[in-house]
Amino acid sequence: MRGSEAVRGSFWEAQRLARRRTSLYLTLFIILTAAMAVLIEVILWLASGKLEFPWAGIAFLVVTFAVASFQYLRFRSGGGSAVAEGLGGRRVEVGSYVHRLVEEMAIAASLPMPAVYVLDNSEINAFAAGMSPERSAIAVTRGATEKLTRDELQGVIAHELGHIANADTRLNLRLAAMVMGFFFVFFIGIRMTEIGMWSGGGRRGQTQSLVLIAFAFMIAGAITWFLGAALRSSVSRQREYLADASAVQYTRYPEGIANALRKISLDQTRDMPKRGLAFAHMYFSHRSIWGKLFATHPPLEKRIARIEGRELSPPNQDQS
Amino acid sequence: MVTTIVVIVIVVVLLALWLMSAYNRLVRLKNQVHNAWAQIDVQLQRRYDLIPNLIECVKEYMQYEKGTLEAVVEARSEAMKAREKVEDGANLGDLMQAEVKLKGALGNIFALAENYPDLKASDNMRNLQEELTSTENKVAFSRQAYNDNVLLYNTEQQQFPTMLVAGMYGHKPADLYEVDEEKVRKAVKVEF
Repeated sequence: MRGSEAVRGSFWEAQRLARRRTSLYLTLFIILTAAMAVLIEVILWLASGKLEFPWAGIAFLVVTFAVASFQYLRFRSGGGSAVAEGLGGRRVEVGSYVHRLVEEMAIAASLPMPAVYVLDNSEINAFAAGMSPERSAIAVTRGATEKLTRDELQGVIAHELGHIANADTRLNLRLAAMVMGFFFVFFIGIRMTEIGMWSGGGRRGQTQSLVLIAFAFMIAGAITWFLGAALRSSVSRQREYLADASAVQYTRYPEGIANALRKISLDQTRDMPKRGLAFAHMYFSHRSIWGKLFATHPPLEKRIARIEGRELSPPNQDQS
Repeated sequence: MVTTIVVIVIVVVLLALWLMSAYNRLVRLKNQVHNAWAQIDVQLQRRYDLIPNLIECVKEYMQYEKGTLEAVVEARSEAMKAREKVEDGANLGDLMQAEVKLKGALGNIFALAENYPDLKASDNMRNLQEELTSTENKVAFSRQAYNDNVLLYNTEQQQFPTMLVAGMYGHKPADLYEVDEEKVRKAVKVEF
């Protein structure tokens, strides 16, 4: 086919690597959650000197998961089309250039045909949305359709379909919901500490232990919120590598998506809708304002290097 | 005594869980192969449907090229027959050959069409050509997707420890749908 020999087949290896790292970060996420429940109990134990039934630790887990479930259910409502239309997307006709490219790539990805939208922005970008393949939508900007060649746009579309095939929206929203849960615990901790501080006097003993629990919540909430957000971004970056490798699998043409990324790195236009920043994790490319730790996307140069197989160990030939 | 029973129960439960997950994984992969094949089928059918329209369209212009047209009709019915015989990932050989032949025959028509400016300029011909090109792309991508799914399915069956039970569950490796790249490239070159 068209891809250079060295790259052919290495995308399987790249996919495996990204999946393995995702599992690693998810395991860390679970350990983090459990460790904080334990930490709360340790704080209480050190402060009071006696071991009691771990109500506070259990409360931490219950609050986190309750808030996370609520958030997740809220995120879940509305399919991909609602998101695309919310950002001003215009549905493209069957038989048009973009629609045909999506059709081809959906076949290559063994996915049902998603709803296809064009956003009237001149920046080169794209996104996929939707909790399941059946309810998914894919949108590309007008800039992407005008500035990219057919092969490059095909690569971008294949990347977005990769997100759908790998169920990245669902994973990302689950993690986002958990981080929201951690934040809520932190928030309760702060408020309760404040209230406890103000309402000194009265039944001293009870207030004191309540302030202590609030304080433990605050600490645990702050740590999980910070580390959880960092882990969520790490997962997100791995999913970008995975979607890139999926794009190479579908197009069998690494140069297409690699050149699209090169064009994006040279293009100065920045006009994606601001309210879309909440969806930044699913944009094709996004420059982080928070620095490396919280970046949802790896640097473009790194993505290009991975796609071209320059960072990977020698490709597994028998897989091609 | 109690410890022994507990250990045995745990081992049995773990084994049952593993057997279940291996079974489900294999079924899921097999279904993916099945669906991928259905997708090829859809695209092949689409192409078979377009060919009579193409013949109809070029017939009046190409009165002296009867042989070329007949070759396409023949290749089409041959390919359709070979397709009937295919069952999920088996008996692919005949179809692969018939498809190469059909592709070559179609290529000849488009090459000859170059000699008929009126035909080339007609809207009908242009639409058909575009439809066929697009279908050709889809056939290629569906074949690639099929092969990807076959690769995943076969790899799973060969890997330890799934290999121990794959045969027991009635799974066997599926055929890849490979095309003789050289022949097809020749056919494509004259095509569009």
